[in-house]
Order: sequence, then structure tokens, then C-alpha cells
Amino acid sequence: MIKFFSKIWKNFKEYFVLILLVITSLIILSQNKNQEVQKVRAIAFGSFAVVTSIVSDLFNTANIKSENEELRRVNSELMLQVSKLREYGILNEEFRGLAGFKDTSAFPLIPANIVSKSFSKANNTFTLNVGRRENVKPGMPVINHQGIVGIVHSTSEDFAIVRTLENIDLKLTVKNERSRIHGIMRWDGEELAIINVPETYDFKAGDRIITSEASYLVPLPIPVGIVAEIRNVETEIFSRVKVKPFANLLNIENVFVLGIVQSKQKENLELNFYNK
Amino acid sequence: MRFKQVLPIIFFFPVLLFQITVIPLISINGIIPDLLLILLVYYAISYGQIYGTVLGAVYGFLFDLITGSLLGSMMLSKTVVGFVSGYYSAETQREKFLNTYAFTFIILLCAVIDSVIYSFFSAVDFNTNIFKLFFDQALLPALYTGVVSTIFIVFPYRRNFN
Repeated sequence: MIKFFSKIWKNFKEYFVLILLVITSLIILSQNKNQEVQKVRAIAFGSFAVVTSIVSDLFNTANIKSENEELRRVNSELMLQVSKLREYGILNEEFRGLAGFKDTSAFPLIPANIVSKSFSKANNTFTLNVGRRENVKPGMPVINHQGIVGIVHSTSEDFAIVRTLENIDLKLTVKNERSRIHGIMRWDGEELAIINVPETYDFKAGDRIITSEASYLVPLPIPVGIVAEIRNVETEIFSRVKVKPFANLLNIENVFVLGIVQSKQKENLELNFYNK
Repeated sequence: MRFKQVLPIIFFFPVLLFQITVIPLISINGIIPDLLLILLVYYAISYGQIYGTVLGAVYGFLFDLITGSLLGSMMLSKTVVGFVSGYYSAETQREKFLNTYAFTFIILLCAVIDSVIYSFFSAVDFNTNIFKLFFDQALLPALYTGVVSTIFIVFPYRRNFN
């Protein structure tokens, strides 16, 4: 009997090893949401990100010149906008006072650098050089001067992993700035699209898409992108609205984490799209 | 276990560091070559199928853990890649596969397998055009990885990896 099994092992050991490891992978795949696994992962990426940030800084210095030029341009544009907004602000304060609205606009912005990028077509993630020490928490929105970039997925003491807009696991509640129609936007591995939009809904190419206050993750109107194309899917009941994001994820280096603490009360009441 | 069999694990970390910090700078429309795959195929051909399969699992697991991708997805794809590339480790032909442009074709084949399995577990969406997905996520990165692997063939100090 032993001889028989030893013969089988000798002839098929490669296959046994393959099957064993494939099964192990599948078990690990099913454990992704386990809290203990998340902790181990946070330690692993946190430790490696320390080294990554040093190397990343070395290469980033080469891009500083072009980045500076871009920042100067953005700065002058912002200066003009600021003076406009100051005027609007004064008017706004008056109106707010009249309407008795509560001022809820003070959200902290945490500056961060991207220390590494995982360029997977479907699961694009960034690692930021800020973490729990800077009060960064999972679920916080990540933005740059162009618009929303992604959502913090997990954090270690000094680093955070961000699921970018080009990640199939990130779904955002967005709305059309013009028609005020809401929808769920997601990345399908190929393009960013608002899915299952009834054909009768008012979406036009060129419309600005912003995050919706209905979202418990990003309850602020942050620019997302513009409608690039509207396609009818086979059923001809729903349309698929292709969105071209404002934020260019290919060459992005500096971002802000928006220090919004999610409302637990609201989270419990509303459909939580973040946790699928 | 001999030192040279542990060496691939040591090499993994600098190569991963290079992969996630420098390689994105040479991305073409978001498509980047997979250096870890080249390293894995090289060692699988050098040390055999079982070694390649186990090394693939270790590489994939560490990659998933460090980069934040779906844990187990890269482990699965790299395990299969290690197994497939191990087929080319026959002792009489090993040198031929490692030193000629046959290596590029093995890389191409393995990269397609790797991308298809990885995409299946991380990006299945039935609304998407499967052929376009295959082209964008499997074929183009595989071609880029194959092209980059030719540098490895002409690399004069490659023997130092052993």
C-alpha cells in the first residue's frame, strides 16, 4: 500500500503541490474581509511602504520642475477664484444667517504624497505616506485640485492604501450637477460609468458629475468628471453613462485626504455601497 | 535548503520595489511590464516545476499582502504560472530555454495565463466586452512583459542571479 502511494506521489507530486496551493489561494481569497487578515495586511504594507517612500522620493525629485510649473499655473488660477469666492462668501454668510443654516463647511485637509502605485487595470490602488498617526481612517475621500481621486481603504500607523476611481471595488453615489439626478458610478475594468440609468433620465454629454450628498462616504459635492458618452445597453431600458474623470491618475503625485468622519448613524440607516 | 534556493525570495523585495516605484514611470497608457513574472519564470525553469509552483505562490501572496490587491488573486495566478513555466525545466533543454529568445515566448505565454487568471478573479463584469478585456488586460501587458524580458536574455551578469 505504502509502495503504491509512494509511486503515485512520485509520478504526480507536481500536480499534488499545484492543487494544494490552488486550494490554499482560494481559501485565502475567501478570507479577504476577515479582520485579522486586514490587520496582517496593514502591518505588511506599512512596513514595505517605509522603503517605498524613500525610493519614491528619489524619483519624484526628477518631476519637481514640471510639477512646480503646473502648481504655479494652478496657483494663479486659484488666486483669481479665491477673490471671486470671497465675494460670494460674504453674500453666502448673509443668506445663511437669514436661512438659519448651520455652518458645516470646515473639513480638515490632510496633505499626502503617493509613495507607490499598483497599476492593475481593475484594482488600481495607491499607497499614501499618511496613516493613523495623521488621523487618516478607512472611508475618507482622497482628492486633488482636479477632483476626487479615491477612497482610503486601509491604514497602518504611517501609511494608507487608497482605492482609486479605477478600482472595481469602489462604487460612488454621484449626481449630475445640472439635472440633479443621482446614480451609482463604478469602474468596470475598462471605463468609469454610471450604471443602470433609466433611459428617460436627463443626462447629456458634457454634464459635470459630482459626488452626491446622498453618499455616506463623500457627503460633499466634489467634482468627479464629465459625461463623455451615453450608451444604451442591450435591454434598451437602461443607459450606461460613461464618465471621464477630472483627476488624471497616471501622473498624480500629491493629494489631500479629506478628514470627513463618517456618520455612523447615517451609515446604519442608508445602503452602504462601500462595503458592497 | 541551500542558499541559492532562498535567493529568489531575497530578490523578490528589490524587484517589487522597482516594480511599484519605477516601472509606473514607463507605463504606456496604464500598461506596465511584470518584472516579478520574469523573475519567477527564470527560477521555475532553473530549479524545476515544484520549486516554480511554490515560488509562484510565495511571490503572489507577498505581492497581494504588500500592494493591497485582492488577497489570494495574484497568489493563484502566479502559482499556475510557476507550474506552467516549470514544464520548460527539462535538464537537457534548460540552457536553451533560458539563453535564447524562446525565453521571451515562454514569458509571453505565462504573462497571458497570469493576466487571464488574475483578471478573472479581480475584474469579472459581464457587461464588459470579454475580447476587449482580454486584449487590454492580458495581451497588451503580456506583450510589454515579453519585450522587456528580451533585455534579460542579453543581460551579461544574469548568472549572478544563481
